[in-house]
Amino acid sequence: MMPDLDAHIDAASALVGLEIAPEHRPGVRAFLGIAADMAALLDTVPLDEAEQQHANVYLPPEMDR
Amino acid sequence: MTAPFATAAEIAAAVGGGATSARAVAEAALARIAAINPSINAYTDVTADRALAEADAVDAALAGGAAPGPLAGVPYAVKNLFDIDGLTTRAGSKINRADPPARGDAVLIQRLRGAGAVLLGGLNMGEYAYDFTGENAHDGACRNPHDVARMTGGSSSGSGAATAAGLAPISLGSDTNGSLRVPSALCGVFSLKPTYGRLPRSGSFPFVDSLDHLGPLARCTHDVALAYDAMQGFDDGDGACARRAPEPGMPHLRRGVAGLRIAVADGWFMQSAAPEANAAVAAAADALSARTDVGAISLPHAQMGRAAAYIITNAESAAFHLARLRANASEFDPGTRDRFLAGALLPAPWLARAQRVRRWWLARMLESFADIDLILAPATPASAPLIGADTLDIGGRAVPLRPNLGLLAQPFSCVGLPVATVPVFAPGALPLGVQLIAPPWREDLCLRAAQYLEDAGIAKAHPPTAR
Repeated sequence: MMPDLDAHIDAASALVGLEIAPEHRPGVRAFLGIAADMAALLDTVPLDEAEQQHANVYLPPEMDR
Repeated sequence: MTAPFATAAEIAAAVGGGATSARAVAEAALARIAAINPSINAYTDVTADRALAEADAVDAALAGGAAPGPLAGVPYAVKNLFDIDGLTTRAGSKINRADPPARGDAVLIQRLRGAGAVLLGGLNMGEYAYDFTGENAHDGACRNPHDVARMTGGSSSGSGAATAAGLAPISLGSDTNGSLRVPSALCGVFSLKPTYGRLPRSGSFPFVDSLDHLGPLARCTHDVALAYDAMQGFDDGDGACARRAPEPGMPHLRRGVAGLRIAVADGWFMQSAAPEANAAVAAAADALSARTDVGAISLPHAQMGRAAAYIITNAESAAFHLARLRANASEFDPGTRDRFLAGALLPAPWLARAQRVRRWWLARMLESFADIDLILAPATPASAPLIGADTLDIGGRAVPLRPNLGLLAQPFSCVGLPVATVPVFAPGALPLGVQLIAPPWREDLCLRAAQYLEDAGIAKAHPPTAR
């Protein structure tokens, strides 16, 4: 079922403190829909539950002491 | 050696050998910019005084007996997200113009200057680099020198256009999802997107820290390698810059391709590209097959890599710009604004999963490289669309142009692979580009194959004809 993108825009924009002007809403809705399609594609990837490695793992620098 | 399409190597040899002066080269370049730039809108800032001062410094050093640098007297220009001392770094935006001028040059500019190169100015780009088209509501569309009614591609639009039009033998751009490769393909020039972390981004305005790369464009492989070699080396101003010693590309250029295991990406890549884009790849593959085996590889998970890149880009860039979006959404370019706004609203699990898939997709690519040294793929789905177009035909389906013009480039920048893009097109035709994709840190393989294709007459940056 297609998610209610307008309801998400209303809730998330209020939470983030980002006003979405009426004239910007159609574009925001369209791009949110594209992102939702991408997220759905990512959900089909067979990731191993044991594999939690993120690509952006933070590594502290080596320190000279 | 002031001809508009002289190579950087030719210019450096002429200046270093005393056949001409750096000042004469700079003056000719500035005159050509004044004559040609109004029709293509590649430059947003021309640093004429600085160019002449840098050229005079090169000439004075040579007169004093100094050894010429590898880029002695070579003019170049940079995408306007690079800091240029004394200029505000606009990054294609209107909002940033209120910022104070940069108090120093980006590290890559410092390094090119150290090699003797002469900065001509800053170049047009898509706002905040979130662009594949070359259109810009604030500075006007950058126009393709091969047909000024058509897009340059973006977001390094001015870089592609200036180098194609003979207004800068070398230019610098950035590539987060394809922003070097798309304009280099659509404008018909060479480029190198190095491995993520190879070239320091210190002193450049970011787009997506997780994915941003910087790199050179030029009209031949040799010039790309000259610039690339002059810019390598660690810098601690960029937290993602690898602590690697420089690995020059120049010594590898003429090693040929014999023995390299090469494969053409088929499946999704071929299905997503127009016949002419696939024909360009086939022409390159055919030339390479004269010296080595060329097979095929399907890369069935490339769409997942592309999707991960899309989500990471959308979320991370929107978070970076959130204060500007809250305060000044109406001041953004309409071509980028709604995507930025949407990115600020994405659920967090989407981003976390995208980062996991990115790592997973890298593992799949590394498995592929166990049997292959180099992969060929189209750089764009088709040649340059008309300026103003908003849909693109992908596999017989009309899709929104802005997020999709770079879809064939995104899977590879997602995991930071080095990619050379070479122009493959007939004189007078609209350019197309072929991506040469190698394992991490193997820019040498990209450059070897690019040089081979150039020597074989397949890859060539034909000068634009009047259109």
